[in-house]
Amino acid sequence: MSALDLSLRGQAAAIAAGEADAAELLDAALARIEERNPAINAVVATFPEESRAMLAEAPDGPLRGVPVVIKDEWPLPWRAQRFGAAELLAPTAPGESGPYRALRDAGAVIVGVGNMHELGSGSTGNVSVYGAARNPWDTERCPGGSSSGPAAATAAGLVAGAVGADGLGSVRFPAAYCGLTGLKPTFGRAAMSGHHMAAVTTLIVSGPLCADAADCRLLGATLFGEELAAGDAAGLRIGVVRDAVSEDVTPEVREACEMAIEELRSATGGEIREIELANLEAATLAAILIINGESLGGVSPERLNDLNPEVSPINRGFLKYRMLLPAAAIAQAGRIRTLMRRRLAALFADVDVIAWPTIPAVAPPLEAPLVELPSGTQTADQANVRGAALANLTGIPAISVPVGLSSDGLPIALQLQAAWGADALLLDAAEALERANGRRWVDARPPLAQAEPAET
Amino acid sequence: MEAADRAEQFIPAGLASLRIEADEVDLAVMSAAHQMFWPAIRALLSFDLGDLEAERNPDLSRAPEPT
Repeated sequence: MSALDLSLRGQAAAIAAGEADAAELLDAALARIEERNPAINAVVATFPEESRAMLAEAPDGPLRGVPVVIKDEWPLPWRAQRFGAAELLAPTAPGESGPYRALRDAGAVIVGVGNMHELGSGSTGNVSVYGAARNPWDTERCPGGSSSGPAAATAAGLVAGAVGADGLGSVRFPAAYCGLTGLKPTFGRAAMSGHHMAAVTTLIVSGPLCADAADCRLLGATLFGEELAAGDAAGLRIGVVRDAVSEDVTPEVREACEMAIEELRSATGGEIREIELANLEAATLAAILIINGESLGGVSPERLNDLNPEVSPINRGFLKYRMLLPAAAIAQAGRIRTLMRRRLAALFADVDVIAWPTIPAVAPPLEAPLVELPSGTQTADQANVRGAALANLTGIPAISVPVGLSSDGLPIALQLQAAWGADALLLDAAEALERANGRRWVDARPPLAQAEPAET
Repeated sequence: MEAADRAEQFIPAGLASLRIEADEVDLAVMSAAHQMFWPAIRALLSFDLGDLEAERNPDLSRAPEPT
């Protein structure tokens, strides 16, 4: 087995122990990208010279010599981010972003830039200036977005871990569609500098996408710049909501998530508590309005009139529509944010995590990203965002963990959300769930990744 | 607000007031977005939050201060 098929922590340990050669690992990753990437369009840029320079200068950190992919959302010293688009609304330039510095200082080697949904504006990954990324589990399906490339690259075994960004679910959706574990950190904890919206965003965070929770703990700690100490999640109090987020989902998703919640309860010796969390729909809209306002701040009408014609028609029209939304709605969104933050603060006195499906249906077709739910046919974006936006709106951390495969072999995922700063608890809970199901889902590999499951 | 409910009134008026140019494709996308978002925005605007004030510069890395 190639060292590239080890887990992220396995690769780091093998290099540290002298059992794997970091230069050979980098070459293997570049060769793997050449071999497998044409089928999934996950990696949109490689730069062997700069990657080798990173390796040559890599300090003896926790990820020394380990290849990783970073989303097209941050600048690198040799490349400006493109945000998956022909043109950004904000100026960009090459530079040292926070995630770049965090990876470099940990000794990691950035081997490629990951594709993403254009302007970060979709949960599917099927719209990008680079062309759609594809799901390694079924290349005719969406990989999820907006961190489509980081997820597809990791699921296909091009790398063992990648850095994404999450403003409205953009780490969690692709993690769910691609059968990975993805952490959306507490707002402000993970490296963000250099992002073109870093100064204005109150929703976007960087986050790791890896096969399992232990790898997310390692890559997450790198992005956090602090240890995410492991615990056991004993006596976990799991809150469940009887609402559309848990009930307006496909039968397969519902069954797998309910089973996983019970497994988690049993594994931790915990309990399941039904909780009330009203106005989730308003919270979702509030998050959308806030991110719209933050992304359009300082953009003039003239700027939109001069937009690059290669920006997709849907984003061109949507950007113009967003300019028309009343300021009163954004102000009201701020009040909804306060309401939901207070409600969550009260709820987290009674429960440790809140659990519901990350996605209501498995990855839809690239050509028509629609999902069939009990309430009817919806766009995947509409259906997905309602389960994700709360964490971004309020700042709490959330994690998506694989909990099953559908009858057509596509991943199903459960989302856990916890109180501010309880990122490590989410990882503990995810690991408890992995142990409970015998690592069945985190070790599952898509057809494209033909190697044996990674040994830890 | 009722005029704003109708995309054919809201969108051209808004575009004209901001001098934003739009072609037929833009208008079709905007009309679809309006149908999707406007009813929810109206509901949000009429959501009675009493005297609740938004946190000023909230620290989103932490729980809100107790009220």
